[in-house]
Amino acid sequence: MTADIRTSEPLTPATADLPVLERWTGRARRPLGIALLGLCALYAWTVVSAPLDSVQGVIQKILYVHPPLAYGAYLGFIITAIAGVLYLRNGREEYDRLALSSAEVGVIFCTLMLITGPIWGKGTWGRWWSWDPRLTVTLLLWFVYLAYLLLRSFSGGGARTARFASIYGVVGAVLIPLNYYIIEIFGGRGMHPENLERSSLGDGMGLPFVIGNLTLALAFIYLLIGRWEVEGLRAASARRTAAGGGGS
Amino acid sequence: MNVALAILWKDLVCEWRSRDRVVAMLLFSLLMALVFHFALPDRRPEEMRALAPGLLWTAWIFASLLGLNRSFALELENDALSGLALAPGTRGWIFLGKAAASFVLISLVEVLTAFVFALFFDLDLIQPAARLAGVAALGTLGITCMGTLLAAMAVRTRFREVLLPILLLPALFPVLAGAVDATIAVMEGHPPPFEAIQLLIVIDGVYLVVSFLGFDYILDE
Repeated sequence: MTADIRTSEPLTPATADLPVLERWTGRARRPLGIALLGLCALYAWTVVSAPLDSVQGVIQKILYVHPPLAYGAYLGFIITAIAGVLYLRNGREEYDRLALSSAEVGVIFCTLMLITGPIWGKGTWGRWWSWDPRLTVTLLLWFVYLAYLLLRSFSGGGARTARFASIYGVVGAVLIPLNYYIIEIFGGRGMHPENLERSSLGDGMGLPFVIGNLTLALAFIYLLIGRWEVEGLRAASARRTAAGGGGS
Repeated sequence: MNVALAILWKDLVCEWRSRDRVVAMLLFSLLMALVFHFALPDRRPEEMRALAPGLLWTAWIFASLLGLNRSFALELENDALSGLALAPGTRGWIFLGKAAASFVLISLVEVLTAFVFALFFDLDLIQPAARLAGVAALGTLGITCMGTLLAAMAVRTRFREVLLPILLLPALFPVLAGAVDATIAVMEGHPPPFEAIQLLIVIDGVYLVVSFLGFDYILDE
């Protein structure tokens, strides 16, 4: 009987089924997207009009992309771990969906970072890859989060997948400080430039760097929210199907 | 605590009766010696001695992966894992029992493998034996702690034999970095560097705590 009532209801927007947190972030997506479009244009213009580096030439402009991608990747992995812990503590599925979304967006950022880095390396160091501690650690993290996504797809879905993934997300986050500790110990022979202070950038290079960070941070949030909403809708649709199928 | 001891005892008795895990791990690591011989042909003895710490740890880690996979495959028969989950008290003690059993078995395989590597590659392991044992124990503790946690997850997924190495190896690189660094120094007759030992102790502590607490959520059905 309940199934009949359910199907005769007027169609409500699919997002109405989502938990409050996801509905709220879903609403922020459109204005964020518009802001992102504007920032992208500004970003492109500042990068193009920034002065050329006197030593490295045009390849130096990767600097406006590469470090912001790195921040996004780390942010993604940290959010994955925090959302995992929240899920383990109170068992609310939206946290697990956030962890998955964040890991996926983090992997995209990390992949782009691992692509832009060697391009710069080939132009500046003369080779694609060096076993520099910082590079090695990033590559390792990339593998951790690919393993995280693989674990999710191999463990069949449901609460067990969410629990396994949450634990592995925490293990991955524990590895970040451990790996930086290794850099401290064995890192004497590193080639990677030290983290840049704004003051160390040349004239006219500070602005595109700041805008780049801002744009990619916004892009990260935008992708994360979008991905989170898709997962939420997918779960809501699965619930509806289950409820409809169970009633008839 | 009693739960941990009971599970340790059960795993060791099982292994004593079947002897399949230790034999498989041992055969595998001995085959690795042969693999290294063919993969690194025509090396002078001193070159092989310089490579030995890395080769030894490679053989140890891959043999451990084999053993850790088996440690929970056994519990899947007759749904013994669900039975274990019903044991009273914190589930972390189940983890400790399983990890301790794996530690004992892997250590045994490591000793035998080291002995054979010493013969094959003309290494002097008698003199640095005590220090080497200490370094190996610290490294193996990290491997078994994280390995037991991840094996308990991997065993209940599709492609479990494939998934464990993919999950575990990224977590073992810090162990490998510290352990190989310390083993190189020890084999050259020096005391192990303080930083490497400190790193291994920190990793062991962190992995032990994370696995002990995390295991509670792994068995929960």
